[in-house]
Amino acid sequence: MGMIGQHLLNGLMQGTIYGLVAMGFTIFFGVMNVIKFSHGDVLTLGAFGGLVAVWAANALGLSVPLQFIVALCVAMALTAVVGAGISHFLIMPLRNAPPLNMLLMTMMVGTAIREAIRLFFPNGTNPQRFPELLPAGGFNIGPSFFRTDAIILIIAGAASIGAVYWIINHSKFGLAMRAVAEDTETARVMGINFGRIIPLTFALGSITAGFAGMIYALYYSEINYSMGLLLAVIGFTAAIVGGLGNIWGAIIGGYLFAGLQTFVVAAMPSMSDYKNVFAFVLIIVLITWRPTGLLAERGSERV
Amino acid sequence: MTPSSRTLARGPVWPLFVAVAFAAVALTALVLIENQKLLGAALAITAAFCFCAARFGGVAATEVAASENPWLLRGLITVASLAVIFVLRDDNFGLLMLATVLIYATICLGLTVQMGYAGLTNFAAAAFAGTGGYTAAMLGQQGGLPDALVLVCGGLVAVFIGSLLILPVLRTRGHYGALTTMAFGVMFNVFLDANDFFGGPQGLKLPGINLFGWDFTNDIHIFGLVLSSYVNYVILTGILTALAMIFVGLLDRSWVGVWFDVVRLDETAASVFGLKIAYWKVLAFTIGNFLAGLMGAVYAKMTGFIAPANFTFGDSLVMVSIVILGGIGNRWGVLPAALIVVLLPEKLQFIQEYRLIFYAVLVIAILTMRPDGLVARRVRKLRAEASA
Amino acid sequence: MGTITKRGLAALAVASVLPLAFGSFSAAFAKDKVKIAFVGPLTGAISPHGIGGRNSAELAVKLMNAEPNTKYEYELVVLDDECKPNVGVQVVTKIASDRSIIAAIPHYCSATAIATVDIFNRFKMPMVVWAAVLPEITYAKKYPEVHRVSGILIGQNRIGAQFMKARGYKKFVSFADSTDYGKSMNKYFTQFTLENGSEILGSFSVPPDQQDLSAELTKIKELNPEVIYFGGLTPLGARLRTQMAKFGINAQLEGNSGIMGDAFVNAAGPELAEGTLTFFDSPPLSKMPGGKMFSDAYKAAGYSEPPEAYGPFAYVATRLVMETIEKVGPDRAKVTADLGDVKDRPSIVGPVTFDDHGQNITPLTTSYVVQDGKWVVWEESEYVSGKRKLKNLP
Repeated sequence: MGMIGQHLLNGLMQGTIYGLVAMGFTIFFGVMNVIKFSHGDVLTLGAFGGLVAVWAANALGLSVPLQFIVALCVAMALTAVVGAGISHFLIMPLRNAPPLNMLLMTMMVGTAIREAIRLFFPNGTNPQRFPELLPAGGFNIGPSFFRTDAIILIIAGAASIGAVYWIINHSKFGLAMRAVAEDTETARVMGINFGRIIPLTFALGSITAGFAGMIYALYYSEINYSMGLLLAVIGFTAAIVGGLGNIWGAIIGGYLFAGLQTFVVAAMPSMSDYKNVFAFVLIIVLITWRPTGLLAERGSERV
Repeated sequence: MTPSSRTLARGPVWPLFVAVAFAAVALTALVLIENQKLLGAALAITAAFCFCAARFGGVAATEVAASENPWLLRGLITVASLAVIFVLRDDNFGLLMLATVLIYATICLGLTVQMGYAGLTNFAAAAFAGTGGYTAAMLGQQGGLPDALVLVCGGLVAVFIGSLLILPVLRTRGHYGALTTMAFGVMFNVFLDANDFFGGPQGLKLPGINLFGWDFTNDIHIFGLVLSSYVNYVILTGILTALAMIFVGLLDRSWVGVWFDVVRLDETAASVFGLKIAYWKVLAFTIGNFLAGLMGAVYAKMTGFIAPANFTFGDSLVMVSIVILGGIGNRWGVLPAALIVVLLPEKLQFIQEYRLIFYAVLVIAILTMRPDGLVARRVRKLRAEASA
Repeated sequence: MGTITKRGLAALAVASVLPLAFGSFSAAFAKDKVKIAFVGPLTGAISPHGIGGRNSAELAVKLMNAEPNTKYEYELVVLDDECKPNVGVQVVTKIASDRSIIAAIPHYCSATAIATVDIFNRFKMPMVVWAAVLPEITYAKKYPEVHRVSGILIGQNRIGAQFMKARGYKKFVSFADSTDYGKSMNKYFTQFTLENGSEILGSFSVPPDQQDLSAELTKIKELNPEVIYFGGLTPLGARLRTQMAKFGINAQLEGNSGIMGDAFVNAAGPELAEGTLTFFDSPPLSKMPGGKMFSDAYKAAGYSEPPEAYGPFAYVATRLVMETIEKVGPDRAKVTADLGDVKDRPSIVGPVTFDDHGQNITPLTTSYVVQDGKWVVWEESEYVSGKRKLKNLP
């Protein structure tokens, strides 16, 4: 087990991505009691937007750091607009429908986004190479290889989690958001602009998807149209295991899932076929043990 | 108006005839028509007819007539079904699709009991159907067991596998329950892929059904007519669907249905009334899984081949979407919904790679325009129930 | 066979202009219409292959219809099997029970083909598989209706193993996807590599949609193999190559037919793809008689998607079916019988000979290596002359 440090780093990186995705799920749920399954595909859209931005910036002859900034801004702006648009045109009109209808609706929205990328992005079904914008290389500590870009990305991911936490808990917008989440009617009476807070919340949640998409693209240097689907399943799982509506729960869930997957491969490489079986069995056991998540959501039942 | 002679309160029966005849014609047309423009026209006419019927009270009249003349309804449906089979008698593909629709519809009736009546969430229906299918395949390899028993075993094994999930299903609700079953569905698939004992990703072949010496793979020769061998499957699945419909209907109208409602709507109230919530949930879960396993076994036997790719999480989603599109909790809704969801992608072959996106947009449109599904759940009329 | 003659090409050009000039004038000298069906994955992650195959089959039909001396006018019915066995069973039942469709060119995915061969047999519909490579399709049963132009994956693995042995490689790690394709690849790779006395340090199997390979790669780095064998398709292959580099794993990558094509090089980037080996059942088109014509006609037809590695096979299969119909007429039984006799038929993927199972037994398995962002035949690459070197050569 000389590679334990390496596995730890791998798990940390994956967990950061999963946690960011799960955080989006939990934000949507906390405010609107909605599982927005298209979240993963919005992430994919952000990554593809970033890719186009890099191509454009490259064609304009911008330097690499500038390309990076342009790509990040485009990815986040694109996901914000799409997220707000989905909430305004599709989720709001259905907000009184049964939760399952909403789940199906957002899954279909995700499918539509995914298929649109596949069909209308040039050569969209094939994986796309994402240029390396961060310093390559790294250093060895013992047998473990620490990639510079991975360390930067983990720090960036942690920072963005902190930023979202701050926005929700310490900004005026966050206060309004929590008020709507707690009691929509009262919040309205208190003069909070409901019609504006909801799309803004979805924009915020979707920006985290755009950010996660960029982290993903930079870390793996490869993106494809279907990457969001699996991330949505994992993000949803992480958010639920952690406890819906609780940001720290989502983060813990994300790292937990990543840790599980890494552990099975590291400890039993011959069983790597079965790693998702193990992971999901454990998830079922965990959810049986804590039926409302590891960090139970506030207010006993929401569903 | 042709008032029935026995009681004054009775409504006319002719809407029933019209409705059944219309459904039969629409169904046949939908299965037969391959031409895109004709298909579009047929769909438009069907939609317009349904809209008008709903707008001018035809649907309500049909419902009254149906509830007053249950045996007439059953008889009409039987006659109409036989007529449809007769028209499609040598269209192998049409019959295969029809049988597939009926299989999906029956599985979704099980889901209706679970999700619509008892309020459980099940995102692993395809996994339970797959359990039935794999049971049929494994038992078929051993040989010896008559097929009627093999099919029932498919259902029983699905119930058994489902019982492993009982504890998490009982303890969780809503989205948390969705996750448990979803995790199970994904796990089922990964396990079959990784495992060589059950044929691995390449799947297993299995022979067709032979029920009491009647070989389903042979064409039927009757009155000088040759009927496609798939007629066998359509009749079998048709009978199973009808039985499931009647059973689920009886369940809904009996006290069991009322208990299910209470359990679904308010667990606290249910426990105050001394209901054993767990008991009713387990019952619903068992009924649904049995239907899924049974029909999964029929499906496997009919297609003659099963592979893990047939029973993915995506297929479970398809089944849930049938229940939701049909109108959750309404057993009649699953029939048109299954027809649309199973048949439409097949009819959309002409747009080739654009099928999936079109389908997604269509479902979004239906959900936005009819948030309660095609046929909405009926509010229970307790007085009528009590006197029935 | 007059695969694509210059005249055919000219005729195509004329044919594409004619309708513009004369409207439906061509209907005046109408020939009997004959329908044939193409089945492949048109949606989902493997759809580029299905769409490339469809375009190629469509091209074959267009060119055939443009030839003036044919007896029939062909119409291609295209169906999507989604690479799923149950959908495959549905669509094949549809075409097989439609008597107006004479023959089929089905399937990219092996599990789908394995599921449908029984239906082709039951409805007595002749077919020529264009791309699926698992042996069971033709060899599990002896159906006269079933034929296949693509080679089986045993051959490419045998040749691959010999190739690696000749270079002196001894320590391998196998990395395959968990589908039937990857599993089968891994099976024959393992068999031939062990027969050669080499060592397999570890075997990994991951779902084809897995994104993060870091856990597996960390383990592989620890095992330190000379060669990583990959059994799977392009998306996972490109991911593997990209992430290998990120982990500083400097092993030689040995691929297979699943990553053959430009998509792999594009996704991994020319620098990383450099030196990747692959063994594929056809020489480059430019080497084959008529091959250049195919490429030119494909370009001229204006398809936005590339034909991909198996497009030429789809073209050959479609062409073969139509030539047979020309010869014996649109009759399923006669077409089946005549296809059984195909021997040394020249084609753009090499001569086609069907054995008694309908399997093409003369695939020209060729070794390829990526050089400057292009797949180059090994014997002509700078690697042979010693100008460039594979990695980890002992």
